[in-house]
Amino acid sequence: MTGQDGAQDTALAWARARAAGPLRTPPDAPVPDGMIRLAEPDGTAAWLVPRVPDTADTRVLAELGLAGPLLEMPNDTARLLAATLRCCWEDPHEPPWPGRPAAEAEVLTVFGDLTGPRDEAAHRRSAVAGLRRLDQAGWLLWDEAAGAVRLGPRVALWSGSDLAVLRQLWRSINFPECSPEIITPTRDVTGGAGQAPAPEPAPGPGPGEDR
Amino acid sequence: MTGATIFEPVLADLSERHRDEVLSAFAAVENSPDPVPEALLAALRDATLRRSVEEMLNLIGRTLVRAGQGGTGGQARWTSGYRDDIAARLTAGGWNSLPAADRAVLALVLIHSVAIPRTEGTLAGDSWVDGTPTPVEELQRRSQIPRGDLRQSLSRLRAAGLVRVVPARPRPGAVPQSTAYLPGPQFHRLTESARRRLQEEFILAAGPGTPLAAAIRRRRENHEGGAQ
Repeated sequence: MTGQDGAQDTALAWARARAAGPLRTPPDAPVPDGMIRLAEPDGTAAWLVPRVPDTADTRVLAELGLAGPLLEMPNDTARLLAATLRCCWEDPHEPPWPGRPAAEAEVLTVFGDLTGPRDEAAHRRSAVAGLRRLDQAGWLLWDEAAGAVRLGPRVALWSGSDLAVLRQLWRSINFPECSPEIITPTRDVTGGAGQAPAPEPAPGPGPGEDR
Repeated sequence: MTGATIFEPVLADLSERHRDEVLSAFAAVENSPDPVPEALLAALRDATLRRSVEEMLNLIGRTLVRAGQGGTGGQARWTSGYRDDIAARLTAGGWNSLPAADRAVLALVLIHSVAIPRTEGTLAGDSWVDGTPTPVEELQRRSQIPRGDLRQSLSRLRAAGLVRVVPARPRPGAVPQSTAYLPGPQFHRLTESARRRLQEEFILAAGPGTPLAAAIRRRRENHEGGAQ
């Protein structure tokens, strides 16, 4: 492979990730320049995630007074990601990826604590919409059929300072006292993201933006 | 694990200040939903630094797009889009295609908001962002898509920045309409060549037997022949 071909393949890989979110690949696929490789815990696949310098991420928009990308239901979406983080990030001294799978019911319980009392149907509706949105953007992996949720490969991009804030958030959220059967999901979530339909996902450090 | 090495060939020779300015401009055009006024960023105003931003974007399959003047003062604005060769490969590879219903709804918005006003001569320029808002009632009447599906399509297109909601223009004597749609800010990201191809596709679809359509087909055949 010549340097020219390599540069073209790198450009195409970055463009694919821009179009569809983190790329799910075979575990031994080559890693394009500037991307990080995140192995699935069971070794069957890996994710390729583009990484830009910290000074070139979405934080620049706020510094310049520019509006961030439109995000539907930003508050509920952020609460749902917080609930997933609380359930799936077992040890906040470790990196959040890959974390552990959590039962959907467990995440919804924490989400309910964060939103406050709501009509059951409205609670379910906003949770499902948030799960779908975050799954499409690669922030979490939702296996709808199995009723299981995991953190998505995008969380590996959180910087040290992001993680310091998120650790405080993690400690401030109560963990639900669940019965064992809803803590253990019926099976592992192994995929599903990377098929994001949005044309130009805005990659960024948190769901308070976007894409 | 810095991952920043891909940009080092561009950034290595820049002073620390210029490096920061180039990175800020790169981040702004890549992430801002709307084009960025060049007055905001030194690396967009200065042609040499702007070339460095362009080189960074090129490495990852993107390019700098001049979005034309907007807002007050008429200053230039910049955004980024896919390189034409990369866009062609993404499309050929089936990446990022919208569901058929969403594509149909988007095409209707483009036809009613931009293509028809441009044909009638009420809309100048080659931008696909400005135009005449298409009322939601018009979309319901023309799309043959069940109302619930249309609403979901519009919601997905809006979340993706492909359409935006504006107040419908009241017509004299008509009942005020609640909502209308224009193409969304993502259309700023089309390169000049992508904007032309989109216009040509509408001409080929709407008037395949016209001399204009024949000229487009001839030029494309010549271009493909020349490229081989």
